[in-house]
Amino acid sequence: MDVTRRTLATLFAAAVAAPGAEAAPQASESDDDKAARELMRNNAQQLAKVSLPMATEPAFRFRA
Amino acid sequence: MANHIPDDVFFSTITEITTKLRAKEFSAVELTRAFSDRLERLGPRYNGLALSLREQAHRKAREADDELKRGRYRPLQGIPYGVKDLLAVHGHPTTWGAKPYAGQVFDEDALVVQKLDKAGAILIGKLAMVELAGGGGYRFPAASLTGPGLNPWDRTRWSGGSSSGSGIATAAGLVTFALGSETSGSILTPSAFCGVTGLRPTYGLVSRRGAMALSWTLDKIGPLCRSAEDCGLVLQVIAGGDIRDPGSAGRGFSYVPQFARKPSDLTVGYAPADFEEWADPSARTDFKNALAVVKSLGVQMKEVEIPDFPYAAILGTVLNGEMGSIFEELIRSGKVDELADKRQIAGLKASLDLPAVEYLKAMRIRSRVQDAFRELFVDVDLLLTPSRLAPAPPIGDPLDRTPAVAAPTGSRGLSGIIPAGNLAGLPALSLPCGFADKMPVAISLVGRPMNENHLIAIGRAFQSQTDWHRRRPPITT
Repeated sequence: MDVTRRTLATLFAAAVAAPGAEAAPQASESDDDKAARELMRNNAQQLAKVSLPMATEPAFRFRA
Repeated sequence: MANHIPDDVFFSTITEITTKLRAKEFSAVELTRAFSDRLERLGPRYNGLALSLREQAHRKAREADDELKRGRYRPLQGIPYGVKDLLAVHGHPTTWGAKPYAGQVFDEDALVVQKLDKAGAILIGKLAMVELAGGGGYRFPAASLTGPGLNPWDRTRWSGGSSSGSGIATAAGLVTFALGSETSGSILTPSAFCGVTGLRPTYGLVSRRGAMALSWTLDKIGPLCRSAEDCGLVLQVIAGGDIRDPGSAGRGFSYVPQFARKPSDLTVGYAPADFEEWADPSARTDFKNALAVVKSLGVQMKEVEIPDFPYAAILGTVLNGEMGSIFEELIRSGKVDELADKRQIAGLKASLDLPAVEYLKAMRIRSRVQDAFRELFVDVDLLLTPSRLAPAPPIGDPLDRTPAVAAPTGSRGLSGIIPAGNLAGLPALSLPCGFADKMPVAISLVGRPMNENHLIAIGRAFQSQTDWHRRRPPITT
């Protein structure tokens, strides 16, 4: 079959309308959720400013 | 034998009560009954009681009396005490202050409870706490199965947390001492706000076996008492190595005041800014007076500043990593939504998104924090600072409210010492030192790891010169 521009437009519209093609609705985040995530972001930003020589090991030890 | 226990006894130290028991001024059964009555009657007034253990306490008290009659004495014989409800007592609910765990029962006592039992102490109740020890970051004092901890000095003010019931019960004379726990401030804060003497031991000195874990590398169990000496007596019993606690330091503690170094041999580091610009104006006079008392003990004083690290961010990251792992099932199952505090719920949920590399970064920076404090303790033996910069806040205030006094610029002082001290595993002793706005305020001594005897020695000396630790809240029975 020849694929006309009209056919392509129809196929495109159908694809967009198909179930699963819609974007999932964004779950609304509460103020407390935002505050918790903001705190974690702030923590990460503050840790990123600390000078950390490559040789520094974590403050725990594994023993066999 | 007395049928009535005088009111003074409810506010007496371990040594004072022990003397009276051995002199047969009253029996252990009479004492236990009186404290149990008081705990059951007054504990709920302050939302301080999780569960009365009257029946088993009565049985233990009878055993204590039998032994006293035979002249068999144990270190804490007949002394009534309570434990924060994150410590397991077999056969009874251990709720962790949280609705999802309200019906939880363990079949073995926490090791610290076993040790106190062997020492003859009488467990009379489980004490209220902030849900899950507040690890997710709670916004309001009401973050608890039992409601907000109400301060015995003023019920419109918070008792502090997360060991809220432990502070309440000790301050109000409902127990002679209590056990609490600290991950970041949960012994020192209720001690300061309720006007009692609290000891946060060195990390690993006291076994965590049978205690709710919030953060494996930060959690510590310690006593809230009527005096520094009592803290020493209790720590001597509960400390010790435990191969079943991976964090155990494998060491015990002997309370040896006779071998403590003289105050004149000790150097105390402090920051003037803590007692002036950083402190709430209502508390500055009491903090300065407390500083003067410490100086008068003959110690050497040296001005210091806390090493420069983002302590709250480091501790928050470590806590999120460990707490998220510990409570992963609670969070993923959705039962986390049953908690009382929405900020806490959000914090717990967010913790699952912490990248492993962030946790490890925080733990690497923590190594540097430990090194920095080792360097600081080359020049000083102890640090001295206000336990909390202001007295207890009103019960309805959110805990993240912007302070009335803006943080000063300039010297860091020792601000951040609570998260810093916990990150480095350091011991600390909170001592009541006065009243601001009619509410207790306190100073803290922070020491090197395993140096609790120095803290207690200075604490005892401070308390021999002051009587703040003997004051009683206005309780009508």
